[in-house]
Amino acid sequence: MKAICLASVMTVVLLVLVTFCFRLYPSAHRARQMLFVYLFCLAVLVALWFATPDDLGFLGRSLLTEPAWLDFAATLLFFSAAFFGGALQLYNLCDRGFSLRILVDMLEAPIGAVDVDYLTANYSGGRGLVWMYRKRIDDIVAARFIDQVNKRIALTAKGEKFADLFINARRVLGLEPPQ
Amino acid sequence: MTSSPALVALAAAAAWFLVFFFIHVGGVRAGFENARWLLISYAACFLGTLVTAIVLTAWHHGMQTIVLAATMAALTSACLFALYVPALYTILTSLSVQTMMLLRRRGGALPEAELYDRFASHKIMEQRLATLLASGYVAPDGPSYRLTPRGRVIAKLFRPIKILWNLGPGG
Repeated sequence: MKAICLASVMTVVLLVLVTFCFRLYPSAHRARQMLFVYLFCLAVLVALWFATPDDLGFLGRSLLTEPAWLDFAATLLFFSAAFFGGALQLYNLCDRGFSLRILVDMLEAPIGAVDVDYLTANYSGGRGLVWMYRKRIDDIVAARFIDQVNKRIALTAKGEKFADLFINARRVLGLEPPQ
Repeated sequence: MTSSPALVALAAAAAWFLVFFFIHVGGVRAGFENARWLLISYAACFLGTLVTAIVLTAWHHGMQTIVLAATMAALTSACLFALYVPALYTILTSLSVQTMMLLRRRGGALPEAELYDRFASHKIMEQRLATLLASGYVAPDGPSYRLTPRGRVIAKLFRPIKILWNLGPGG
């Protein structure tokens, strides 16, 4: 139970720190900012785990996880899942979610019902779908998955490996024709 | 020697998650609608995780350690699910991933205009609206679409987070 207590507290600390970072140090690379906050919190969490007693001073004997290494591993799993599956996904959804942005655009539209033309032209508060796709292309160029040369876009060697990985994953799900 | 309640709980969660993975993949391959099947299969396996952890712990260690085992099992299972779902949806819906896969299938390179024509066009908007329609977030209104109460709740729910995190329109 020590794992749950420490990971929960550190997740709250992480969310507070992320909020401060986003508000006080606005950056174009917010996901990277979040990753740094996660690594900092992870280091503090490891130090806390070793510095605190197994019962944290209040847990009953029946709530102690044994062996100790299992509690340590569970602490890392719970905190990492809270970050990669929780906080980071919440950010991705809010800042990059295509479907969510369509819903928000519909909510903010001056009229109740909107058509495909309106949503395509006014996506993301009037920026349009071309802006949305440019942002994604820029991100995968920055991550060196693709290159842009003479108005052509080409996969890098790294991009090819990842594309194969994604295609194989879809093949497992039966969404791609077999090789 | 008997293993600890926490170890039993983690092993039960891991084993049941593996069962969930195979059931989910099998269902998607069989043509079941992904989102609904994902939830149904996970809910069943989550229940299996809890029952297994509680029964094994009660049998080997008595009733006093059940709270620890059940909590550890539930949280471990939830963590694995929280890591699985984003990875799954990245593969299924991410436009960046779809772009890379299209490039790979088409020999590794394409004109920029062709990609924009495919991924920044009416067609992609129509596809996403069809998904939102099927999920009950939007409803048809003649040739247009309007938010359903459910879609309105979702749109309003995320607005305070965007403001709190200073994210701007995004998308």
